[in-house]
Amino acid sequence: MLETVAQAVINGLLIGGIYALVSIGVTLIFGVVKIVNFAQGEFVMIGMYLSFYLATQFGIDPIVSLVVTMPVLFVVGVLIQHFLIRRVLGPNDMPQIFLTFALSLLLLNLALMLFTANYRTVHTSYSDEAFHLGGLYIPVAKLIAFAVAMMLSAALWVFLHTTDLGKAMRAASQNRDVATLMGINPNRVFCVALGIALALAGAAGSLLMPFYSAYPFVGQVFVLMAFVAVVLGTLGNVMGALIASLMMGVAESLGIQYVGADSGLLVVFAMLLLTLAFKPNGLGGGRAR
Amino acid sequence: MTKDRQQSVLNNAGSNDASGATPILSKRQSRRKFLLKASGVVAAGAFGAVPLRGWAADPVNIGALYPTTGSMAQIGVGCVAAAKLAVEMINEAGGIKSLGGAKLNLILSDVQSDTTVTRTETDRLITGNKLSAVHGCFASALTLIASEVCERAKVPIITGSSSDQLNKGRTYTFTPFARASQFAKAQLQMAKLVGDKPKVAVIFENTAFGTSTSNGLKELAPGEGVEIVMFEPYSAGFTDASPLINKVKASGANALFSVSYLNDLILIVRTVKQVGLDVAINGGSGGFVIPDFYKNVGKLAEGLQGVAHWNHDMSDDAQKVNAEYKKRTGDFLFEYAGGLVAQTFMIADALERAGSADPQKVREALSTLDVSSGYAAMAPGGKVKFGPDGKNIYGHPVGVQWQNSDLASVFPKEDARAPLLKT
Repeated sequence: MLETVAQAVINGLLIGGIYALVSIGVTLIFGVVKIVNFAQGEFVMIGMYLSFYLATQFGIDPIVSLVVTMPVLFVVGVLIQHFLIRRVLGPNDMPQIFLTFALSLLLLNLALMLFTANYRTVHTSYSDEAFHLGGLYIPVAKLIAFAVAMMLSAALWVFLHTTDLGKAMRAASQNRDVATLMGINPNRVFCVALGIALALAGAAGSLLMPFYSAYPFVGQVFVLMAFVAVVLGTLGNVMGALIASLMMGVAESLGIQYVGADSGLLVVFAMLLLTLAFKPNGLGGGRAR
Repeated sequence: MTKDRQQSVLNNAGSNDASGATPILSKRQSRRKFLLKASGVVAAGAFGAVPLRGWAADPVNIGALYPTTGSMAQIGVGCVAAAKLAVEMINEAGGIKSLGGAKLNLILSDVQSDTTVTRTETDRLITGNKLSAVHGCFASALTLIASEVCERAKVPIITGSSSDQLNKGRTYTFTPFARASQFAKAQLQMAKLVGDKPKVAVIFENTAFGTSTSNGLKELAPGEGVEIVMFEPYSAGFTDASPLINKVKASGANALFSVSYLNDLILIVRTVKQVGLDVAINGGSGGFVIPDFYKNVGKLAEGLQGVAHWNHDMSDDAQKVNAEYKKRTGDFLFEYAGGLVAQTFMIADALERAGSADPQKVREALSTLDVSSGYAAMAPGGKVKFGPDGKNIYGHPVGVQWQNSDLASVFPKEDARAPLLKT
């Protein structure tokens, strides 16, 4: 009994780490640039395919391919901000919504065209291995993914709180106009924010590859969870998104264990509604940081 | 204006010998003649094939509804390749002889893995073309809708989809292969062959396919002497199979029946291995019996059992078609695609006997179909004859097992090509 609960919590935390990487990206973009990036899931998908081809063509381990996918997607993020998003930033939200949504559709269908709808997996030596502790087991691939996800989140937190650029990003997220008056170049800050968010999506893709299949629609699975986590953890709050993601992973896992195998998401959404009823701004309160 | 000019042209031509006017006139006339002649030549060229084709009888249109985009695209594309192969085989063998050697003309439509699109596409296909019969759509949820549209339009549809609902209150729907409820029986009997006291955990995706298959398992288990210790629907397309397998582990099952499509099943099989759970897995049909399963799971697939309504090694004819398909696509001919080759030959058989491309007459001929040889009889057991509910009265599934990276027929004895291995 206790063992089953413990196992369910472990499973939930491990997958929650992946949700966190996607949701931190979404919340960072929302906090700093004030747009909702509907295409975030598609960048996870691109990260997965990059890792897949690096693994199958050059024999690079998917986890190691992080050092390629993150910089590549960082550059993609900067380019997207500079050439696309910058042009639609204005008082009206609609163009921004259409832009990121269109980007999502475009990337999805491009992937269908280029890679077909086939599922692609990478089989690493540790893909099917697990540590066994008493009656519990911890899959190696997921443990690595979780550990790297937590390290990246911590690195991001340190970056936001100690470096000038990080502080400038937080300033821009608190008040864009005043930040501009203080000499912060908003486009530069936005470019970095997009870059970091997409790099995290790329990291999520690489970390997923040893234990999940890549296919064009794969981003949609994760982006739904990311949006819930972003709202649950207060829009724009990086730490809130991280904690909310882990909570959701655990809630989903416990829901499957004790409510019904098709009720995992039900429990997650019940948690979201209850939280919003008592804390309308999410777990992080009103503050974005 | 025109009249004036024509008149003046005539006048000029008739009475005036002025050398300046004549070349202009002749130019005008010649241009008109040229246009007339040229258009005649062009038209003759464009429709030149018509009389020829008319002599060789009009082609017979067959509609094929498969999802070639969207989440089921990977299977839909394979189905289309098989549908084309089947039509080529029939046409190369001389077409429909009773219709003067008429060729089959395959009209493809993409139903995009979506129920709404399936409805509009089926409608469009039927109203836009003179169809003699339709086959499709792989997923039961889609076929149920296409079948409704075909019933209303009075065009026969023949399908490998397994939902028992397709046999209820329908007169234009034909199902030559095993039904979902029969799959269940075969799975239970196979479980008894590999284990003494099977305690089965049933997990199934919460879709039409998953629910109908698993309900069959639940109903038949007591009669077959198999105990079901867990019976759980799950939401298809999950991110992580661990919580589900954690639940299976807690149930104390020694056999696992998973009714799932490919991606979920890959995660389930991998997770079972990670947990170190010792269960005999029966992956059912769906995502389990396609080449991609082995490509993704690799050696972990060895020894896993499943059931199918068709398998590429079960008869000489099936092996012949399989060889040709493999040459074209590189993969073996999987369950659904193989079945639809047989279905195309059943349609051809009906057309041959009906001597007409009229869909109602084709329906009549299908309802009296009775074959036990040739490509149309490529079904487990090797016989096809439809009952009043459109069900093949000889229909039954074939039990399969992954052995040496190939899917071998292992159950029942009459269809087995390899022994069922205990793992």
